Order: sequence, then C-alpha cells, then structure tokens
Amino acid sequence: MRTSRLALAMVSALLASSAVAFAHHSFAAEFDSNKPIQLRGTIVRVEWINPHTWIHIDVKEADGTTARWMIEGGTPNTLLRRGLTKASLPEGTEIVVDGYRAKNGTNRANGRDLTFTDGRKLFMGSSGTGAPKDGRDASEK
Amino acid sequence: MGKTFLIAAAVVSALPLVHARSAAAQAPPGARASDTTAAAKKFVAPRTPWGEPDLQGTYSNRTITPFERPTNVAGREYFTAEEVAALEKRAREQSGDEGRSKGTRGDVERAYNDFWWDRGTKVTTPRTSLVVDPPDGRVPAITEEAKKRAADEPKRPAFRGAGANGRGTDTWLDRSTFERCITRGMPGAMSPTAYNNNYRITQGPGFVAIQIEMLGGARVIPTDGRPHVSKGIRNWMGDSVGRWDGDTLVVDTTNFTDKVLYRGAAENLHLVERFTRVGPGEIDYRVTVEDPTTFTRSWTVAIPFVNTGEDMFEYACHEGNYGMEGILSGAREEERAAAGAKK
Repeated sequence: MRTSRLALAMVSALLASSAVAFAHHSFAAEFDSNKPIQLRGTIVRVEWINPHTWIHIDVKEADGTTARWMIEGGTPNTLLRRGLTKASLPEGTEIVVDGYRAKNGTNRANGRDLTFTDGRKLFMGSSGTGAPKDGRDASEK
Repeated sequence: MGKTFLIAAAVVSALPLVHARSAAAQAPPGARASDTTAAAKKFVAPRTPWGEPDLQGTYSNRTITPFERPTNVAGREYFTAEEVAALEKRAREQSGDEGRSKGTRGDVERAYNDFWWDRGTKVTTPRTSLVVDPPDGRVPAITEEAKKRAADEPKRPAFRGAGANGRGTDTWLDRSTFERCITRGMPGAMSPTAYNNNYRITQGPGFVAIQIEMLGGARVIPTDGRPHVSKGIRNWMGDSVGRWDGDTLVVDTTNFTDKVLYRGAAENLHLVERFTRVGPGEIDYRVTVEDPTTFTRSWTVAIPFVNTGEDMFEYACHEGNYGMEGILSGAREEERAAAGAKK
C-alpha cells in the first residue's frame, strides 16, 4: 500500500502540473466569473448543434413572468459516443443549472453543472452511459 | 503475452494494448515501447490490393500521457506499471470538479463537468511524455528571433488572432483560427485535445486521405512522387507530399501560411510525419517539427493512434458558433460598463 500512496501522490502532482485542454473557444471570454447563476427551468428546446449544444429553458421569475434562457454545453459528438441523443433531454424536463452568466448581459449561461430537480445529475453518475462519478449523485451512494 | 496481445488487439480493444505497453514500462531507457513488445516485432502490416501498406481505419489519438515530461519525473522516460494504473484510475474517476474554485476565471474556462469532455482515460504510451526528442521530453526553447517576433506580433495584422487563445476582442480576426472554426493548423490538427480526437484514414493508389473530426476537413496526401507545389502557394494546412519507406508512410509538409501560429512558428515550419502500423489496432505516429527561425533545435512527438472501430461524426463548427458572438458582444458590454463607471 505504501507504493500505491506514492503512485497516487505522483498522479496528483501530474494533474497539478499538466495543462488542461479547453473547449474550442474561450468560455472565460464569453461568460463572467463574477456572475455565478443558478437557474431552475423547463426544457423547451435543445439545439443539438456544432460546435456546442445549447439547451433552451423557460425560467419562472418571482413576478410570475417567464424568461427564456440559453445554456451552453459541449459538443454533441461526445454525447453521441456516450449513447445520448437529442431525445435524451425531452421537452418539459425540469432542470437546475449552475453556471456563469454571459458577459453580454443576455439570458445566456454556461452549464457548469446540470441536475434534475431531485438532485440527480444530468450526464453524470449512474445513467448507465459510462459517465464519470463524483459521489454527489444520490444514486452513487 | 504475445498471443494475448494479438487476439485482444484483433477485436480492437484498447485495453490489451495498454497492458502490452505497460510491460514496456520496465524497458531500459531509450528503448521504444513498440520495440520491446514481441507482438509488435512479429506484426506484419497488411497490404492494400495494389500492394501498399494498409493504414486504413478509424483511429483516436486521445491519451492521458502528458505532452511534455512533468518536472516530477524529470530524467525518467517511462512510467512504472503502477503509475500507469494510478493515472488511469484517476482519469476514470474524476468528475471535472477537481482543483476548481467557483467564481474564478479558471473555473469558467473549464466550462462544464467531465461528461462533456473526451480526453481519454488511457495512458496510451507509458512514456512520461509524448515529446520523445529532445531526450528531456520537453519542447526546446524558442530562438531570440522568435522572441522578438512574438513581442511584435500584436502590431502585425497578419498575425492577429494567430495565437492559441487569441489576444484581443476588437474583431473576430483577433480570435484564434480554432475559435473561428477554420483550423488548428499543423501539427495541431494531428494532436490530441479535449474531444473529437478522431481520424479516418482512407487510401487509393497513389493517395492517402486523413479525415479529421475536430473542425472537420481532410488532408489528401499524394504518394506518387510529385514535388511540393511552388513556394508561392501557401496553405492553412501546408502542402503535404508522401512516400513509402518500407511499411512507413513518410509525409513532408511545407508551404505554410503566416496566418496560423504553432508555438510561435508559422510560414517557415517544416514537418516530417511518420505513420507506422505497429499492430492490428495501432499506428505509431511521429512528427518532427523543424523551424530554425523559431526553435533552437528540431523536436519530435510520438502519439499512438488507436483503432476505435467507431464511426466518425461531422463537426460542422460554423453551424452555430454563438460563442464568437458572445465573446465579441461581451467585450462591447464590458467597454460600455467601464465607460459608464468613468463618468
């Protein structure tokens, strides 16, 4: 076990020192790190497009009105390889989005974390798609 | 071991390849991983019906092997089998939240959790770096001339946006050709990134075509002995001519433009790529990068291309590149806010 700990320490050091590959465009140039946002809304449309998917949701405001938001995700190619399709996110599904608001002030945000309203994560955990686990999805416990 | 390797690789599974390569982790310094595998020595590359080595198939070059050798393994060419196992376990289990702090620029840049990424979970070569030459596994220093050029680049219109991440936000021309959905250039287009690391090689008599998933496009490489086109003709991906050296496809590429930068190199870049099928499911890909006006010496990267047996998907990047509009309009909004604050 002693050597295992050494190997793990080395892995941590590697992760810390190796460069992280980013998306094809700069998210930090598009979204504002000073404007974290959480949205709870209903999926009205999924733009299954390149270079990035966009999930459109309707969010109910406190005054009873509804605002349409667009959430940027990753490339559809990766999701296809994980067995997900456009039909995996049906219209009417209620989701919670944690992300950052667009710098241009429009109703756009990136989808850092997407969860169902019961706390299960979209695209994570035990969805049977080989997705990575982080222990936060209730079904992983 | 050799038999297991052959059988397993025949069903196009990446895992046995890693096992075979992990054994090479104990190899003496300087040994090539493929040289130490008995199966690789015995492997005879198949031929096309017209008699050329057959490289055809769909491959991925995704890997968690570092591009340059990390400082904590300086002086060591190979990971141990245990280190390989630990790296792969970590890659399988990470969620994408590691090392991120909310409310930071770095957190925004990492965009979303690991489900959206496809960096791979395999150490596809147990080498401690994809850079195999110089022996320290690091990209050589750039020349004084290249440093001066880099300092002047923002003033040179032809270089606007040529950098990896783009510099300004005045116009889309300030953004990188990657963000603009044009090209990652060379050898960027043949290097692994965070997703879409897929390639399809197709051959005909006298030609090899390489279809690239990330940003789309194909390289059509003649192998009929023709020379390079005139130096006056400059291409985003350069001009490639190929030849067969035994079982290896050797591709020589010159005639680059000044519109794409690769680590400070542009129109003077000269690349020599070598594609060798080292097993039923793997191509050993090597590219030697040469530009005396930019690098203090030539250097070589070796990246395994592993057969996926999967389809390619189209990545029509211009389809909905809302990101570009978001970046430029975001910058205008920030300028308005800054101007308002001054009043």
